[in-house]
Amino acid sequence: MTIAPDKTVSPPPDRSRPRPTWTATATSGVLPLVVKIVLLGLAAALAVSVTPALVRSGSWVFLGGVWAIVVVLLAVYATKRAVPLKYLVPGTLFLVVFVVYPILMTAQLSATNYGDGTRNTKEATVARIIGASAVQVPDAPSYTLAVGTTGSVDTGPFTFFLVDEATGDAYAGDDEGLTPLDADEVTITDGTVTEAPGYTLLTRSEINDAGQAGGELEGFTVPAGDNSVIRQQGFSAIELTSPLVYDEATDTITNTETGVEYTPQRNQNGDRSYFTAEDGTRLSDQSWGENVGFANYVRAFTDPAISRDFVGILVWTLVFAVGSVGSTFALGLFLATVLNDPRMRFQRLYRSLLLLPYAIPGFISLLIWSGFWNRDFGLVNDLLGLDVNWFGDTTLARIAILLTNLWMGFPYMFLVCTGALQSIPSDLKEAASLDGANGFTQFRKVILPLLLVAVAPLLVASFAFNFNNFNAIQLLTEGGPFSPENPTAGGTDILISYTYRLAFGTAAQQIGFASAISVLLFILTGLLAAAQFRATRSLEDVN
Amino acid sequence: MRRITSTVAMMAGVTLLAAACSGGGGSTSAEESPSSSAAAEPSASESAPPVRGDEELVIWTDALKLDAVRAVADQFAEDNGITVGVQAIVNTRTDFITANAAGNGPDVVVGAHDWIGQLVQNGAIDPLQLSAADLGGYAENAIQAVTYDGQIYGLPYGVEALGLYCNKAYAPDTYASLDDVIAAGQAAVDAGQVETSLNVAQGDVGDAYHMQPILTSMGGYLFGQNPDGTYNPEDLGLASPGGLAAAQKIFDLGEQGSNVLRRSISGDNSIALFAEGRAACLISGPWALADVREGLGEDGYTLQPIPGFAGQQPAQPFLGAQAFYVAANGQNKTFAQEFVTNGVNNAEGMTTMYELANLPPALTEVRQSIAADNPDFEVFAQAADNGNPMPAVPAMAEVWAPLGQAYSAIIGGADPASTMQQAQDTIAAAIAAS
Amino acid sequence: MSTVAPATGTAGAATSTRRPGRGGDGVDPSRAAVRRRRWWKEVGWRHVVGIIAVVYALVPVVYLLSASVNPIGSVVSTDLFPTRVSLGNYADLFNNPSRPFARWFLNTLVIAVVVVVAQLFASSLAAYAFSRFRFTGRRGGLLTLLLIQLFPQFLAAVALYQMFTGIGEVAPAIGLDTLPGYILVMMGGALGQVWLIKGFFDSIPVELDEAAKIDGAGHAQVFFQVILPLVRPILATTGLLVFVGVFGEFILASIFLRETEIKTVAVGLYGVLDADRSNNLGWFAAASVIVSIPVVLLFQYLQKYIVGGITAGAVKG
Repeated sequence: MTIAPDKTVSPPPDRSRPRPTWTATATSGVLPLVVKIVLLGLAAALAVSVTPALVRSGSWVFLGGVWAIVVVLLAVYATKRAVPLKYLVPGTLFLVVFVVYPILMTAQLSATNYGDGTRNTKEATVARIIGASAVQVPDAPSYTLAVGTTGSVDTGPFTFFLVDEATGDAYAGDDEGLTPLDADEVTITDGTVTEAPGYTLLTRSEINDAGQAGGELEGFTVPAGDNSVIRQQGFSAIELTSPLVYDEATDTITNTETGVEYTPQRNQNGDRSYFTAEDGTRLSDQSWGENVGFANYVRAFTDPAISRDFVGILVWTLVFAVGSVGSTFALGLFLATVLNDPRMRFQRLYRSLLLLPYAIPGFISLLIWSGFWNRDFGLVNDLLGLDVNWFGDTTLARIAILLTNLWMGFPYMFLVCTGALQSIPSDLKEAASLDGANGFTQFRKVILPLLLVAVAPLLVASFAFNFNNFNAIQLLTEGGPFSPENPTAGGTDILISYTYRLAFGTAAQQIGFASAISVLLFILTGLLAAAQFRATRSLEDVN
Repeated sequence: MRRITSTVAMMAGVTLLAAACSGGGGSTSAEESPSSSAAAEPSASESAPPVRGDEELVIWTDALKLDAVRAVADQFAEDNGITVGVQAIVNTRTDFITANAAGNGPDVVVGAHDWIGQLVQNGAIDPLQLSAADLGGYAENAIQAVTYDGQIYGLPYGVEALGLYCNKAYAPDTYASLDDVIAAGQAAVDAGQVETSLNVAQGDVGDAYHMQPILTSMGGYLFGQNPDGTYNPEDLGLASPGGLAAAQKIFDLGEQGSNVLRRSISGDNSIALFAEGRAACLISGPWALADVREGLGEDGYTLQPIPGFAGQQPAQPFLGAQAFYVAANGQNKTFAQEFVTNGVNNAEGMTTMYELANLPPALTEVRQSIAADNPDFEVFAQAADNGNPMPAVPAMAEVWAPLGQAYSAIIGGADPASTMQQAQDTIAAAIAAS
Repeated sequence: MSTVAPATGTAGAATSTRRPGRGGDGVDPSRAAVRRRRWWKEVGWRHVVGIIAVVYALVPVVYLLSASVNPIGSVVSTDLFPTRVSLGNYADLFNNPSRPFARWFLNTLVIAVVVVVAQLFASSLAAYAFSRFRFTGRRGGLLTLLLIQLFPQFLAAVALYQMFTGIGEVAPAIGLDTLPGYILVMMGGALGQVWLIKGFFDSIPVELDEAAKIDGAGHAQVFFQVILPLVRPILATTGLLVFVGVFGEFILASIFLRETEIKTVAVGLYGVLDADRSNNLGWFAAASVIVSIPVVLLFQYLQKYIVGGITAGAVKG
């Protein structure tokens, strides 16, 4: 549709335009062509330049993505066909790479138990558990460390030159074991070996570099006692022993000192396992990453805490979202209509001042406002002479949130409505006035429908934004007030703040579960938005 | 520590965001990529702009400790002829876990000891092997705080615990019981001299950290302790007789009672109200000192360890230790280990930390050397001596929010016994399910 | 009203430029009273509404200004109108090396400008296609677009983090902790303004492009030389929306930008406030005030486009 079906609305299209503009550019289409070729060439060159690195690191998904983009660009821009695509591709590429793909990855994460305690693989976890159980051998000496090599400082082979900090005795250590050195075999300065004939001694930076992940010195140990090794710690060395032994065949970790055996056991949530003794004692809080299929979704639907509170929270979430959109739109539209009058002076000033709440970044406003509602020391009670504990009562807290959100949101609506009102040709308003419509009828019958068409998508987007407006809740009330019977669901919790508290508590992250919740919220938001569109039929109009 | 509430505020939002590593499914590729990227590095770093992590030692901390950490790190860099980078990270703990797992984290991280449980759970930090001589130099319960599963994971540099500030004009004495403190404060309130008698930051969602002295004085506890001093998350003491007595006490002091405890007093205004002379007394930590001195003058306030209620147990605030940790997946482990076990593990380093981070020192030698000059810190150090280390077990994550909410509800007039029981049941269920 | 309407344009303008109620100039006093009543009825009440709205909008802003000049800078010491005034907080903004506010501000401006230009360009291109071409999947595409936009990008932050960790290994210049990398993430919203712009395109008569095409213009020329100049108002409006959005974006920035020197104001400010909320309010407020200035200036500059409306655009174009 068009807002202005009448030709008189816009000036006659082309009479005032000089024709040569078109013909000139149309015939001299060389420049656009050159630009096009250069840009396409650049894209291809970029893809070529990153390919070796991607092949080296085996990032096949990444590689495929990069070349897919190049192919799409070539197919769309090197030909004369598919004109709409030429306009859609730039934005769509960004959307696909930085929104759609992450959404898909989120869906994939939702089938895992990824989170606190499950970030590592099982092998890494076992290694960490055993490594963390290593303790210094009682009464074993500690040594100062120098590292020497007969070969290269990067690749070794390396030898530890150790000096017992207590006795001053010097030793050489390699993967064979420890060899005592006579005083004349090496030079010792300030308790550290500083010269060893036949060896190049590494500088501290070289020791550090060789000990980096993948370096030859990483994990270098010198066998010492029966079950102990000498290992580097900074520029010292210590003798360590671990009581734990892992048997891969039986998947059991055994404590050789106590004889207790630990095997993996599922937890109550069913999303991870721990090495657990028969009496239920866990060896460690560390678990490991696994694919858990639909377990996170099952939990979301069967957790009694979630199902108990869900309906109430959903209703308030809808009230909050609708209320926020409705109130900001109503106020914004009202102000836009009132102030958008050619007879008024100071319109620019009004607009500029009314925009100020919007000019302050949202999280700043929320942090400032959260203090305003304090009962004893807040600005609201202070200015209005009230003694109301706003955040102590569910209804009041909800009102406070809506009022805060109104303040934050109305300038946006005001701006949008002003823009939309401006785009409605004044001829149309005057025509309506001539037809005998009075101010309000004119507004309702002529302006409002046109305006709604223009802003309906925005209202839906605003609804969706507020539906998941985590910050507004978290920074104002943190979901509170909480009733004593139910510390998990607060009076002002909306779905997103509530589920994230469930998923994360205060610190323990359950990314897999949270991803499942994200996916469910996404679906729910989409369904609601679709329903709204159906109701407003704005799409049909727009077509 | 006082930032618990505000941190919690953003935590849920940011933690989830800030979490990532090599994915739940794909496992082995994580091991391959570091080496291959290391191989590709020389060519890449020539043309690319400077990227974080170029330095030979990278340390993460929060904005408050930045200057102090930078000072000791620069000294270490000079001694070893290397470069260091110190970065202030907003969500240090969660970002560190995330980045470390993804292999682009720092070599050393600085933070509170109650992080240890979560860090160990994620395999993010390595245990330290310190000699008995090294350990002996530190306050015993600071070492206990950084000990987890029998290993020492952090090198403590400062201790924090709550103390009792009073405005000399209204509550000039040293008090033997909280009852006396409150009586003095209420007298000042009744006389219209101040607005509040004893500020305990709670806010609308509660604050279990600041309420801990009151809970313990009435005989309540969070987790029972095993014979070796470690915490047992299966023994919850909120609904114990002592815990219920504490709940009743909080109710009596709350908005339905004497209105000493109020939800309108929160971490945002508690200290400022006192520093402006609008509150008679304040329960807070060493972080409030600068404000209080500025607001009330050097001689305008008194400071003492928090006394218990008359005829009850002593009040035991939480002890928090601030410490250095060696990252498990750091690039430069050797320098990281050397920095933590030797670079700052001495009187000079710890003195620098004390001077710039402004915390009571954990190293006894430094504590003694400053006791005369800084008696306030000595009070806090004593308060820390009386305190119990804040539990570092991951189960603690399940405690803060429900317990804080329960406190807030009781202050607002909810039934104390059933509310406390509810909180305990909720916490127990969450711990059991994890 | 209906009879008045056509004439208001001139009559109203005339009254409002002269102060009503002055009487004077030998005009009949009763006529002046009538005129004043009419002014109140048609224009004056609008000012009353406007002033009330301005007060509502400004109280928190005044509080922020007051906090920013409060030398103590704590929450409870700040009143709506300051009792003590000092510019110390503002001075500290630019003198504190551990909080390089100027640097953060510059970073944010750079990001905002790049993202605004790129997003508007991509959005207008797509809006043009949706508005002017009929192709299969058009309706579905529009709906899908809306649906995808409904997904808060921060919910996928974990996935984005993993993705950029991988990108950083191959191309460090656009990895984590780089401004280009963060800009790329923000470009995920490249089509965020399509709906709004398309609505505006729809209101431009198709006859305009058809006439141009008859004159020999290609589709690209129609877009760049006929349509784009006409839609300046909506570009100005959406540009401002995107600009503000970039300034306020905190959650993704806090994950992507860690190095002190490359933070945005949102991350930097939050870090400062989080470190000590009750004390740093003054500093925080001063920074907030400065941060708001570009938006205000931008709005001042764009007002003529936003307010100009489509017909003005057509005449000028």
